[in-house]
Amino acid sequence: MTAETATTAAPRALARQRRRAATARFWREYRTHRAGLFGLAALVLFALVALTAPLTVGSDVQSVTDAPGKPLESPSLHFPLGTDQFGRNLLGLVVWGSRVSLLVGLLAAVLSVAIGALIGVTAGHFRGWYATVIMRITDWFLVMPTLVLAIALATVMSRSLGTIILAIGVTTWPTTARLVRAQTLAVESRPYIERAKALGGGHWHIMSRHVVPNVMPLVLAQTTLIISTAILAEATLAFLGLGDPTIVSWGGLLQDAREAGAVSSGDWWYLVPPGIAIAIVALAFTLCGRAVESVLNPRLGVSR
Amino acid sequence: MSTHNEHGSGRRSPGRSPRTYRFLAAALTLSAAVATSLAPAPQQAVAKDKTVLTVAVAQSVDSLSPFLASRLVSTSIHRLTYEYLTNYDPKDAHVIPGLATKWESSPDKLTWTYTIRSNSKWSDGKQVTAEDAAWTFNKMMSDEGAATANGSFVTNFEKVTAPSATKLVIELKKPQATMTALDVPIVPKHVWESVKDFSKFNNDKSFPIVGDGPFVLTDYKPDSYVRLKPNKSFWRGAPKFDELVFRYYKDQDAAVAALRKGEVSFVAGSPSLTPAQAASLKGDKNIHVNEGPGRRFYAIATNPGAQAKDGSKFGDGDPSLLDERVRHALFMAVDRKAVIDKVFQGHAVEGKGYIPPRFSTYFWQPTAGQELAYDPAAAGRLLDQAGYKKNADGKRVGKNGKPLNYRVLCHATDPNDKAVGKYLQEWWGKLGIGVTLNCLDNVTDPWLAGTYDLAFDGWSVNPDPDFVLSIHTCGALPATPKDTGATDNFICDKEYDDLYARQLAEYDPAKRADLVKQLESRLYDLGYMNVMAYPNAVEAYRTDQIKSITTMPSAAGNIYGQDGYWSWWSAVPANSGDSSGESTSTGVIIGIVAGVVVLVGLAVVFAMRRRVTAEDRE
Amino acid sequence: MTAEATPALVEGPAADPGDTGSAAGRGPRARTTTAYLRYVAGKLTGAAVSLLAVLVTSFFLFRLIPGDPVKFMTGGRPVSAQQIAAYRREFGLDLPLWQQFTDYCGKALTGDLGTSYQFRAPVLDKITEALPNTLLLTGTAFVLYTALGVYLGTRSAWRHGRLGDRLNTGLALTLYSIPSFWLGLLLIIVLSVGVGPVPGLFPTGGMESGGKEGFAYVLDVAHHLVLPVVTLVAVEYGQTLLVTRSALLDEMGSDYLTTARAKGLRDDLVRRRHAVPNALLPTVTLVFVNLGRTVAGVILVETVFSWPGLGGLFYQALSVPDLPLVQGLFFVFAAAVIVMNTLADLLYPLLDPRVGR
Repeated sequence: MTAETATTAAPRALARQRRRAATARFWREYRTHRAGLFGLAALVLFALVALTAPLTVGSDVQSVTDAPGKPLESPSLHFPLGTDQFGRNLLGLVVWGSRVSLLVGLLAAVLSVAIGALIGVTAGHFRGWYATVIMRITDWFLVMPTLVLAIALATVMSRSLGTIILAIGVTTWPTTARLVRAQTLAVESRPYIERAKALGGGHWHIMSRHVVPNVMPLVLAQTTLIISTAILAEATLAFLGLGDPTIVSWGGLLQDAREAGAVSSGDWWYLVPPGIAIAIVALAFTLCGRAVESVLNPRLGVSR
Repeated sequence: MSTHNEHGSGRRSPGRSPRTYRFLAAALTLSAAVATSLAPAPQQAVAKDKTVLTVAVAQSVDSLSPFLASRLVSTSIHRLTYEYLTNYDPKDAHVIPGLATKWESSPDKLTWTYTIRSNSKWSDGKQVTAEDAAWTFNKMMSDEGAATANGSFVTNFEKVTAPSATKLVIELKKPQATMTALDVPIVPKHVWESVKDFSKFNNDKSFPIVGDGPFVLTDYKPDSYVRLKPNKSFWRGAPKFDELVFRYYKDQDAAVAALRKGEVSFVAGSPSLTPAQAASLKGDKNIHVNEGPGRRFYAIATNPGAQAKDGSKFGDGDPSLLDERVRHALFMAVDRKAVIDKVFQGHAVEGKGYIPPRFSTYFWQPTAGQELAYDPAAAGRLLDQAGYKKNADGKRVGKNGKPLNYRVLCHATDPNDKAVGKYLQEWWGKLGIGVTLNCLDNVTDPWLAGTYDLAFDGWSVNPDPDFVLSIHTCGALPATPKDTGATDNFICDKEYDDLYARQLAEYDPAKRADLVKQLESRLYDLGYMNVMAYPNAVEAYRTDQIKSITTMPSAAGNIYGQDGYWSWWSAVPANSGDSSGESTSTGVIIGIVAGVVVLVGLAVVFAMRRRVTAEDRE
Repeated sequence: MTAEATPALVEGPAADPGDTGSAAGRGPRARTTTAYLRYVAGKLTGAAVSLLAVLVTSFFLFRLIPGDPVKFMTGGRPVSAQQIAAYRREFGLDLPLWQQFTDYCGKALTGDLGTSYQFRAPVLDKITEALPNTLLLTGTAFVLYTALGVYLGTRSAWRHGRLGDRLNTGLALTLYSIPSFWLGLLLIIVLSVGVGPVPGLFPTGGMESGGKEGFAYVLDVAHHLVLPVVTLVAVEYGQTLLVTRSALLDEMGSDYLTTARAKGLRDDLVRRRHAVPNALLPTVTLVFVNLGRTVAGVILVETVFSWPGLGGLFYQALSVPDLPLVQGLFFVFAAAVIVMNTLADLLYPLLDPRVGR
């Protein structure tokens, strides 16, 4: 990791070239991780499904007044996954629900990592009382039981997607903050930062030109891992009835299924597909995150 | 730093080490522990001849004190453990003797005299007297804490006395037709006298709890169970089961699963089983799904502009809803048939008047000319007439120039609210009106503050309809915005109030029923309370545990939450008490077999692993 | 190994690398007992500050929940403004917020967490009623998943890269990605209600059938315990496995092990004597952190299996909102994590053989 610290102020073209090379090297490394490739493939597939949902199933699939089937039909040729309690096509709903679940997962993770990165970088860069206070707060957030805090936040605010995103984002950032801070400290201890400072580089320059680029890979890996957490958290909150009941999401479908009595009636087709979808996507993000992590930190490669 | 790659290291795998054995032993011990717990607990603790009726409830007890309890599960238990002055006949809910054997009113309608039965004893052996009843009422009149749950019954009481052990006299401030429907548990004075703070005493510390109902409460564990034993000396006759248990489940589906397994004898819907649950339970030969006309109505309430008695207005209901045409149009766009067919899937009756058809004396339906039948086109015309025309986007525009969008308050815990809410969004969306569904666990706050436009509403109706009628009178409004009134949704209508006062003072049943129907008609026309459906009571019990049970009304009625203790008092245990024992022992055998299979499986896995290890070493 | 590298060892989506990192990174170079004692004092102070912070948060956070507790308590029944004022006085809601807060803190120090609005019983009573049930569930699951995780993690590291390792890791990661409530529901369908030929072996929920005593009672509770414990173990063991495995692999690549091998020591001896004890360090930290976290994380499993524990109580309390109960429970949940983290921090230097060397 310290291989690239030889030069400090390289011309822009050189930097671009090096970045390209780094990306290529990254991909070559990444390709060797079979689990990571599998995760990536699953993600691409799900992303395609979610993005093309308006074309394949359309928003009409949510309509209760125009529901095509009878309530709780078991799987058939016409409805491969059966119908829900309104007679809506479950396959369509699972496909449509992927949009919300992925969106919430993505946005919540971005929010979480953004907060974490901001706090981590600043706490690593500015030492002194600022860092002490900020890290105290981080530590304190870290001991808060995430789920309990998220439930509490979701209860405090009105039921909407924004609430869920916020509740997840606000409760999951401290891990990222700690990691990023550690990385920032490591980067800033390198000699070239010293030189940059001596040449008159300000805080902004140091952080944006030297720290952030070096922290980015870690942030990327962390985002991937947190998306997986966020998707699970979204499902959990929706399942506990804290989501917006008018929006179709995987967790919401599970909650609907339970309320309709699918568990005791043995209507497994209502319960199984959303759960599997959640598990696959969460797993895929985890696998990708692990692969990215091990590519970036070869020392950890041993564990994969 | 060493360089390891993904696909194999340069190292050899370890040989069998003592550590491996230790791990193996530990793992076996653990799996053995799991296997032990696999075996269902033998039920020898329950004697073979002891019959237990277990009722699954999905509501936790709020308090065992009759002065505090307001949840259905708690009041149901109080019905079983404390006699009320009067009771209702299971056939048609007419008033019959309870603790009082007869009653009469004075000619001026202000004094009621009850004769208290002399053949009723408290479970600690003491005689039940009129003094107990008088003490109970007086406590509720004098102690605010004791008035928490049932205070509304005594607000019109002037004085309550017990001139003798069998005579109770209640003097009223104003005539009141509901004096034979005082649903207040009478408690033993000698036990409750020592209670200091009624607002904190939960009556759940010393068991058995002294009572005089058909059952005696013997044990209670919060969020787990309430156990009751029959009162052998109950004056109407002892119940047939040896024990009655209310078991708590966090959700209804878990309770249904427990019924299917035979863990419980009965599932009380909260408020009723879902269509899917009912359908799947019907397929089970040992389970009877009981469906009876419900006592609830399910309505859309409209915010008429929250107000207090002092004339101050508060809340922020949409002004367009003050136009009767708008309210009518909204209701005409609600396809009640679809609500019955799709949401309730047939387990409900289409809504007409305010009081459900179950109470035939008071049931009323709109005349043909009066009825707001489903007709979206007519609804659209009505809105046009009222001046709420569609704009270029197809949205109806309010007087302030903004598109109409109504906030609909719904109970997050009620699947029906959420389901009907989705339909409303689409139906009213087609009318050009937006709907924001605001689902909350606890709707009390916006409800009382009047910060909603429409809301899902529903009440359980008692045999005497006075209460559900009273909540729409001007007198029920809060005195000031700071108070909480008895009002349901701030309706205040002069004509309605006059009719209400007349029915309350009318002691002739037929004349009173007629007045009540006129009240319902007026309420229907106002359009503030639009009844969509009367949900049926859908419940289920195991026929291999309960042979027979009285429903109310007895011809076709419900079991849980009756007006009286008929169901549990009358329930007859099924003779095949062994069948459950049999299934238990089968369970034990299967459990043990499963445990052994797990153990053997683990052993095989470990043996194979060890073999592989051994090969590796070579 | 640098302190900064440690966090990345903790894998899995919900892992909290910071916790391990904090223990390893801020661990003292404790060479003497006095240094250790100073370290202990620091940690304890930190924990006390955290607990205080939790107290503050739990108080103010839940004041934001929309809903007037008095209106809930009176359940929409007609009450006069005077009565409402009386209720407010009784529960101290009429005082200014800061005074409510100081009152709350003062009482909390004496163990009085207030009176629950909905149960009209002391919060402490409600919590002590439910706590043993939660501890039984989490404790059992915790012991099982830690044992399973450490054992399988060690095995996996031993044979890393092989098929067994990959299956092991793959399964752990998959189970880890499954929503626990969903797994619980499936288990209920399959093993409790019964599907097709599979008979329902286990109770659908609750903790006991009631009316049993002695050994029969113990068996009954154990019987009810199986499915919730299996659910918890399935979703939780993966993290322990992965941490143990990577810590061990890390350790196995260390220089001193290479040296030891070069000296001709037998491989498995090296591993057992040196690698495993060192590698278990991050695991120990994780174990403690997990124990604290599981207490709070059990909400879902308790909901699905109608287990009468803290989680269900919390959920019930939030919907009211029953502020004193919510605050009390939140404090208990957070305190569990803080106490366990502190324990881990305190134990770490004692266990780390490199410290003091």
